[in-house]
Amino acid sequence: MSDVQFSPQRLDEILTLVKRYPKAQSAILPVLHMAMEDFGHLSIPTQQLVADTLGVRLMMVREVVTFYTMYREKPCGRNLLEVCTNAGCMLNGADELLAKLCEKLKIQPGETTDDDMFSVIEVECLGACGGAPIVQINGDYHENVTEHHLDDVIAKGRTHDPI
Amino acid sequence: MTTLFINEEEVTVAAGTSILEACRQSNVDVPYFCYHPELSVAANCRMCLVNVEGWPKPPASCCTPVSEGMKVSTESEALVKDREMAMEYLLIHHPLDCPVCDQGGECKLQDYAMEHGSGKGRYLEEKRIIKDKQLGPFVTTSMTRCIHCTRCVRFADEIAGTGDMGVLNRGDHMEISSVVDECLSSELSGNLPDICPVGALLDGPSHDVSRPWEMTRHQSTCTQCPQGCDISIESRGQDVMRIQPIEGSPEPWLCDRGRFVYDAFRNESRLLKPISKQEKVSWNDAINDSIALLKDKRIGIICSPDWSVEGLSAIRLLRDTAFKNAPVAFDLHRRDKRSFAFEEGFSQTTQQIEDADQVVILGSDLRQRLPLVMQRIRKRVLADKPVVRIGSMRYRTNSELQKDMLIRPRDWVSVIASAIEQVMALGKQAAGMQAWLDATQDRHEAGKVLADALLAETCSLLVGEEIRCHNDAAALIHGLDLLMRGCGHAEANNDGRNLIPEGMNAQALTALFAKDRMSVSDIFEDANQGKLDAILLIGSDPIGDGLFPVQAREALKKVALIQIGAIQGEISDQASVLLPASAYSEVEGTFINMEGRVRTAHHPLEVLGDQRPLWKIMMRLLQALGQDIPAVSLEELRIHMHRFIPELTKVDDKQQDAIFLSSARNRKSILPTQITLRTLDVVSRYSMYREGMWARSSELLRGAGERQKLADVIMHPDTLAAQAGSIATLDTDHGQYQFKIDVRDDISPGVLFISKRGIAGDISNVVSVDINGGSA
Repeated sequence: MSDVQFSPQRLDEILTLVKRYPKAQSAILPVLHMAMEDFGHLSIPTQQLVADTLGVRLMMVREVVTFYTMYREKPCGRNLLEVCTNAGCMLNGADELLAKLCEKLKIQPGETTDDDMFSVIEVECLGACGGAPIVQINGDYHENVTEHHLDDVIAKGRTHDPI
Repeated sequence: MTTLFINEEEVTVAAGTSILEACRQSNVDVPYFCYHPELSVAANCRMCLVNVEGWPKPPASCCTPVSEGMKVSTESEALVKDREMAMEYLLIHHPLDCPVCDQGGECKLQDYAMEHGSGKGRYLEEKRIIKDKQLGPFVTTSMTRCIHCTRCVRFADEIAGTGDMGVLNRGDHMEISSVVDECLSSELSGNLPDICPVGALLDGPSHDVSRPWEMTRHQSTCTQCPQGCDISIESRGQDVMRIQPIEGSPEPWLCDRGRFVYDAFRNESRLLKPISKQEKVSWNDAINDSIALLKDKRIGIICSPDWSVEGLSAIRLLRDTAFKNAPVAFDLHRRDKRSFAFEEGFSQTTQQIEDADQVVILGSDLRQRLPLVMQRIRKRVLADKPVVRIGSMRYRTNSELQKDMLIRPRDWVSVIASAIEQVMALGKQAAGMQAWLDATQDRHEAGKVLADALLAETCSLLVGEEIRCHNDAAALIHGLDLLMRGCGHAEANNDGRNLIPEGMNAQALTALFAKDRMSVSDIFEDANQGKLDAILLIGSDPIGDGLFPVQAREALKKVALIQIGAIQGEISDQASVLLPASAYSEVEGTFINMEGRVRTAHHPLEVLGDQRPLWKIMMRLLQALGQDIPAVSLEELRIHMHRFIPELTKVDDKQQDAIFLSSARNRKSILPTQITLRTLDVVSRYSMYREGMWARSSELLRGAGERQKLADVIMHPDTLAAQAGSIATLDTDHGQYQFKIDVRDDISPGVLFISKRGIAGDISNVVSVDINGGSA
């Protein structure tokens, strides 16, 4: 058994969820989201936990995790900034925005700052092109993002306040 | 049945067949990579596109079932273009390293690139490179060559049942991977390179040493287990390069034991020159020395069951002519000494076992013992057909069994008795049941599992080594026979009684030696008591294998040993004379597998050194003993063989799968006997990587065996509060032994599992022990 364990409440939630599907295997996607919520990222022991909980093989979980980009296999910082660089955002200056953001935090896309406060990822279309350029910060959409807005975000993030 | 038209030819196939399979059956060539008849359909290579009249676009033929009147065409201008485009995609990241690739010359990608590719690539961007993987001791990888057909993934999932391979990432980043770089732990791993259509998964041991077109192929029969698979031994000059399965054989796969044993064909343990008194001598001297030890002496014959039937017939001729009353033994695991009390062999084919309503595995480590039968069992389990097991250990399997009962070997009588009782309660009777019951006292709950399974329309019993090696084996088998008869399973040659033999040719050995057979331990006992002068050992190794190494060593202090064989074993140091005989790969001959299926080897490997076929050695000995020679050629020998086993006359090459030899039955009533036992039952464990002289001499198999190794002496933690690592003193009928104990909870409490390695092998003949102490 691995050291990672779901809490009893979480297990209840998973069991209820599994009942909605014809096979436990079908619940891999939502359970992975739950695991990521609980443990921050999906390490191999966490993936093993999901596999054991659902009674599927580890490889099946691995295939799903690596297929979708929104599952994180590596730990990320306290604040996760996902910058869209797809067509709409690109036209509205997402590339420059991303470059500035990286410069401010002194990291490359896909990396985490040394103090573990910020991670930056380049993502594909988030479906909010009306507000391009868009940055998803800790799951929330921030539309029409400017450099100034990013400064605020970084300052707030450093103070441990919610952004 | 469905009738359709393929390229305007009318074809009739079973309903539900795929178009691709219909094309394959009617010899129409459709290119494909990812399809494999034994695996599920993935339809991801897109090579097998065909046109169907009236359909807007070409479907993948592997996943499209046929329908009545369908008009399929496999050639058109559009298809030429489609295939060219599919090839272009598949070849995008594929390196151009055919000249150094092992697959070159037998590569589907190479062939199809030639046939369907465009000849010139348009892709000028950077090609990607994938890190190679660890897939066990027998598979070398070159993952950059992979075209993602996922045959290996499906193989690991569906056939090997280990499921430790998969496809990671997506699109252009897609790669085949194993779980966190762990190795593939399957006894069928050698098949991976075969199913890989390109050079990504390669045969490890034959990596970088030869090219397919340099090989000479020798069709032969594997004798490494009673399954007797058809094999194609590939050689270059004197060297054996690899062993491959033969397409269209009864079993689609080969196990690692049969495939990689070949490195023992050409190593220093092969016996190539006659040896007398530890020195190499000429054949004449060796024969003279043998005759001095054999002529007018009382001898015991121990032979391996794995010789060709011709070889075994020659042994019979030698015995009939020169040593009239010599005892013969051929199985090294028989404790039950009653002659012709039971004879091994299957009454069903492996296909019939797969199709039966119920299957019961009785005391067998089937996955190691008969990996390809286990494969059939796995297919059943995947199809939700029941399989239950009774035995003294939950031997590792690759499938979930419906019921898995743990018992001690001493419980077999009560299991069968309880089953008989339950069957009788339902009014199913067979003459002799009551007498059998009356001879027993205890009942065991596992009997219900057996009884329930037997009530089905068809039921296969796979009777394994725990019963075969039981000291009361004949009574147990008689009990099972009664059960089968009582439950109405009496159809000739398909009653479902499958007694897993120790080696090949079980049915032939019965015909040749049934009345004279003894247990090998009897021969050693006779030798110890001075009733024999010499032992003629033909091809087995009673010290390295079997239950009686201690008795063998004792006996050989008293009598001379003349060994005839293709390979030296642990016993060979003790032989006065060693005569080199050709191996199974080097003879033309007939073999019979456990199902009674007859195989003939036609095109043997070149004979090495001074070896002679076994039958010639037998004839030479007869000549030197001053007897008439019954046969001077293989044809003449076969006349004798046909006299001994008349069924074999019916066999011809074209229909060798149509004839099955049935195994002999003993109809006499044999009742269980009560014996007093010590507290713990001893079970001797079988390992496919070390049992048999060939496997032990093969470095490849030894390496693989190390990975699967369990401790020498293991028991359940509840048994006398056993602790891992403690030293226990065992009291046996032959004295005291000390062993380090390991514990596992998949073993039945009250059982001591021992391996045949090292000193633990010394107590393999012991049926039960008392345990003393358990100091850490």
